[in-house]
Amino acid sequence: MTDPLVEIKDLRIHFFTDEGVVRAVEGIDLNIKPGKTLCVVGESGSGKSVMALSLLQIIHKPGQIVDGQILYHRGRVAGGQFSQNGAVDIASLNRKGRDIRSIRGAEIAMIFQEPMTSLSPMYTVGNQVMETIRLHEKGISKKEARERAIDILRRVRIPKPERLIDEYPFRLSGGMRQRVMIAMALSCTPSLLIADEPTTALDVTTQAQILDLMLELQQEFNMAIMFITHDLGVVAEIADDVAVMYLGNVVEYSDVDTIFNAPEHPYTQALLRSIPKISATRQPLDMIEGMVPSPFRRPGGCPFHPRCTQALASCSTVVPSLTTLHENHIVRCLLHEETGEEVPRG
Amino acid sequence: MADQTPNTEPVDAAEENILLDVKNLKMFFPITEGIFSQVKGYVRAVDDVSFFIRRGETLGLVGESGCGKTTVGRCIARAYEPTGGQVLFHDNGRSVDLAQMDRKALGPYRKDIRVIFQDPYSSLNPRMTVFEIVSEVLKVNKLIPESEFEQRVAEIIQLVGLRPEYIRRYPHAFSGGERQRIVIARALVTEPRLVIADEAVSALDVSVRAQILNLMEDLRQRFDLTYLFISHDLSVIRHICDRVVVMYVGQVIEVAGVNDLFTTPQHPYTEALMSAVPILNPRQRHLQKRIRLEGEVADPSNPPSGCYFHPRCRFAEAKCAVEKPPLRKLANQDRYVACHFAEELDLQGAVMT
Repeated sequence: MTDPLVEIKDLRIHFFTDEGVVRAVEGIDLNIKPGKTLCVVGESGSGKSVMALSLLQIIHKPGQIVDGQILYHRGRVAGGQFSQNGAVDIASLNRKGRDIRSIRGAEIAMIFQEPMTSLSPMYTVGNQVMETIRLHEKGISKKEARERAIDILRRVRIPKPERLIDEYPFRLSGGMRQRVMIAMALSCTPSLLIADEPTTALDVTTQAQILDLMLELQQEFNMAIMFITHDLGVVAEIADDVAVMYLGNVVEYSDVDTIFNAPEHPYTQALLRSIPKISATRQPLDMIEGMVPSPFRRPGGCPFHPRCTQALASCSTVVPSLTTLHENHIVRCLLHEETGEEVPRG
Repeated sequence: MADQTPNTEPVDAAEENILLDVKNLKMFFPITEGIFSQVKGYVRAVDDVSFFIRRGETLGLVGESGCGKTTVGRCIARAYEPTGGQVLFHDNGRSVDLAQMDRKALGPYRKDIRVIFQDPYSSLNPRMTVFEIVSEVLKVNKLIPESEFEQRVAEIIQLVGLRPEYIRRYPHAFSGGERQRIVIARALVTEPRLVIADEAVSALDVSVRAQILNLMEDLRQRFDLTYLFISHDLSVIRHICDRVVVMYVGQVIEVAGVNDLFTTPQHPYTEALMSAVPILNPRQRHLQKRIRLEGEVADPSNPPSGCYFHPRCRFAEAKCAVEKPPLRKLANQDRYVACHFAEELDLQGAVMT
């Protein structure tokens, strides 16, 4: 097994609102491997986006990382070498400090769902791509930055980048805007790219183009991708590993083949059964009863137990711990606690 | 293009059991300029669209954003005034053209054609209770005496899977899936003939989406409803539809039964759409032969010559840039395609998983 690039350990993120505490992330343990694609799937309210934001320390008030570690092994690339810097605990860094600012955007970059709202309408595409480059590479001249920007736009397959660099974002289509976002994210060759639903707002054919592009660039730049999505079709296409989240927990983690062909957690199983299949006829869909509970009323015990068809009596009281079924397959469910062995905390 | 004759052969509405017949529908939006709003051009959002819906079927309408599928739905519901064409509604042995009717004459038909919208958060008025939301249409159209509202609303709310006690609550008290059930109740309370579902499940979570799809199918059978199901999600279309209309830049390029469309597409654009359907099994990733469309979707205010798809089509020939292919019925089949070379091409369907 390769050493992880990022190790998330027992991460807890709570939002202290007037109506009460929302436990958006409630004890996540997760590893991101260098050069690989980790897909994080979950429904709305599962905490997947909040977890992603915490990797960059950009969680807004009243949200707060209350516990846990995010160990980022700086300079660990797919080859497996360590740099002299060693590990940084992102969770403990000051949000506005120099350390996180040198990581944010340069080593860990992020692209967002809606490419129109994440690009400024007031600046040209070139301004925005060059800003990232000039911020992180001191002493680079304006001319050099512009050349770098044109080069990176060409690498995300934008036609005629010399012309497009002086356009404003409103002139671009959704797919082109998302390419610009990707170009900005890649301009400093990050070791981890976090993509939060980057293709959800795009059409299917454009989505296919962007996914292909991201995988090609991953090879070229040798970076890890953490891909957040609710679309299992996308997961099946691009993931190496998959983490399934439900109400602030990772309920199952494994390689993509195991998740789709031998899932063990009842939620993963139900989720896979509930999606319409291209080959199937008009049978009623298997569905998960009920709905994702309100974040203020997080069920006790296993958070999935009110909707789980295989729930035991103890599921409503006992919080299941992480159980390793075999290498690279971890599940958080009481049904498997006797068979597997508990993951040692550390 | 405006002077084009109807390019589908006439179909007998009674024989084919047709509920709604859309003929050469056009919806152009003017592009204006300057303080006097001079019209300098038109966005041809819907440009000569013809298709029909049979009674009791679920017709899918697919296409990428900006292809005009929502505009078609709104023209049928007469939220827009179509620029041209006909929307023939056949019911109880009568046929009326909804496209040409004035607002007053439309009144009685408003209850027959109802719409389910995409976003259950913005389509419900936060200041109205569920009872007010669902009964509003009954009140405005004076469909039943006001004394019966309460009972009717309670019935329909129960049918869509909500508890009748909830009807005094406001929308904020409900989750996305429950809100979509309220939207469905509002659409069905008038006992419509045709329901236009515009991306009705696109905004919902995966586990809730299955519930709503099952509910819609259940209600269709129970009330003998006809759906026009507008969506960009091909796996949902595949699941719920009988026949599918594929649109590209304001035009219909293919109409076919759902099985035929997914296994043997006849138009190169349909083939590209099918190849973009995600494969739900990581073991079959290698089967995907994705067709990469070059370039961008054409601009509906300045469409290309000939076939609108020709600049991106991998089979395009000289003829395609000059002559626009009419939507024609394929011999001995219940399908229509707008491509000069439909019979000659051997196109790939979606990978079945």
